[in-house]
Amino acid sequence: MIVFDDIHKRFGPKLVLEGVSLTVAKGRILFIIGQSGVGKSVLVKHLVGLLRPDSGRVFLDGVDITDYSEKQFYPVRKRCAMVFQNSTLFDSMTLLDNVALPIRKHKRLRDKVARREALGKLALVGMENEALRYPADFGDGMRKKVAIARALTLDPEYVIFDEPTTGLDPISANIVDRMIRDLSDRLGVTSIVVSHDLKSIFSVADRIAMLYKGQIRLDGTPEAFRRSEDPVVQQFISGSPEGPMEV
Amino acid sequence: MTGVGADRSSGSTGSTGEGERADRPSRIADILASVGAPVFYVLSTVGDVFKTFGLAVYYTFRGKKRWDEVINQCYQIGNRSLVFITVVMAFLGMILIFQSGLQVKRITGDFSQMGAVYLPLLIRQFSPIIGALMIATRVGTGIAAEIGSMVVTEQVDALRMNATQPVKYLIVPRFIAGIFMTLVLVVYSTLVSFLAGMLTAHVYFEVPYDTFWDISLVRWADLLIGVTKTLCFGMAIPVVSGQAGLAAFGGSEGVGWATTAAVVNSSLAVIMLDFVVGGVGFMVFPTN
Repeated sequence: MIVFDDIHKRFGPKLVLEGVSLTVAKGRILFIIGQSGVGKSVLVKHLVGLLRPDSGRVFLDGVDITDYSEKQFYPVRKRCAMVFQNSTLFDSMTLLDNVALPIRKHKRLRDKVARREALGKLALVGMENEALRYPADFGDGMRKKVAIARALTLDPEYVIFDEPTTGLDPISANIVDRMIRDLSDRLGVTSIVVSHDLKSIFSVADRIAMLYKGQIRLDGTPEAFRRSEDPVVQQFISGSPEGPMEV
Repeated sequence: MTGVGADRSSGSTGSTGEGERADRPSRIADILASVGAPVFYVLSTVGDVFKTFGLAVYYTFRGKKRWDEVINQCYQIGNRSLVFITVVMAFLGMILIFQSGLQVKRITGDFSQMGAVYLPLLIRQFSPIIGALMIATRVGTGIAAEIGSMVVTEQVDALRMNATQPVKYLIVPRFIAGIFMTLVLVVYSTLVSFLAGMLTAHVYFEVPYDTFWDISLVRWADLLIGVTKTLCFGMAIPVVSGQAGLAAFGGSEGVGWATTAAVVNSSLAVIMLDFVVGGVGFMVFPTN
């Protein structure tokens, strides 16, 4: 279980998170939604130590990891993988080397063994035949699949997806959505998905937390969201430019 | 007493005075903030640079190196700077010899010591600092832009997620290549500037080549100080520029800021190191 407890984060004069408290249950898919720039990615990066809170605590399975050093975060990052918004594959490496990188670094395996494991993970996303090609040869959808394969290399218990379907065509987006669902159903992986893609949100999420003005506005099931009478939530769902939400 | 004083004070100044007094602490806070913010920025930047330098030195001697990347960086640094350095150092050599030749002609008319005096000056001062400033401009921007782009596109975060230390992966190859190539480029720039000066002295003042080519005034101390400065500059430029790249934030605007910071901070570092190493050099090896 992941617990964010009263997280505050400021960048210069801008207070992005103003006391966010959120709990993520094991094996479930939580969507964190909200407008662009509201701090969704900022919040999830606190879990893996890519950002540190100004105040507040982060707990992973009951252990306070807030003040961990960079090295202490390595095992945390092994358990909690992250798929970044831009896929962030390294252009100078083949797809196989990209996927093998976490295996070599975290497990400290020999190149040959790491590559064999990486090929197996690429097969999971149907990219094993393209293993020796470079990321620049592929579009966003394919790159995202490889990024997901890379995130799964260490068999993580938790996976953070940062806007996984943004910029993808509807078919690729559906494939990614299905992969997230499968991870939870088949392997029991807990997923935290940062998104504002309504179709994904309502088809995949077990729970939704909406971030607004640095705080959690609503935390509940997709059904609770649909039924919510909160005008901010309703405006987000309807996508109307008119309403209380500041654009 | 306090009450009376307070009453008097409010009576004499009225409501405007109360407002002014209430504003005073916030104005003082604003002034302190406007002075403190740049000081804090400078101190934190210097702290970050030293931290990055410490990590770069540590990982240079520990762990596996990416030697293919070191060779690639050597090629990048040399390739990026060669034409720029050749043109600037050749013109610098021509200008310095032409201007000093005019003075010599006016005062003594004896050109025999021109090359002999010029060479130690080049080795000890001009080549290291001018060469390093050019490398800081040409190479520092490239390093900051490359690393800064990786930061804003979250590639550095992806490295950290894969248990890879960004300083070890990104800065150490540039650090090793920077030390080696700065030395090579400064030796090359000395040669270019000296040869350009020799040609100028021959064409304008009819100084024979063998008279100008005089290394009798070059001391081991000049060589030692020149090489020490060059090594320091070679270490400082990749570290300062790399740190500027790692500190990038936001989008393309952040990368722009990082490249500007890389040039400004690297140039400042070169000037300050020149002063420090030069000063220590003069104390250890007095000129007289």
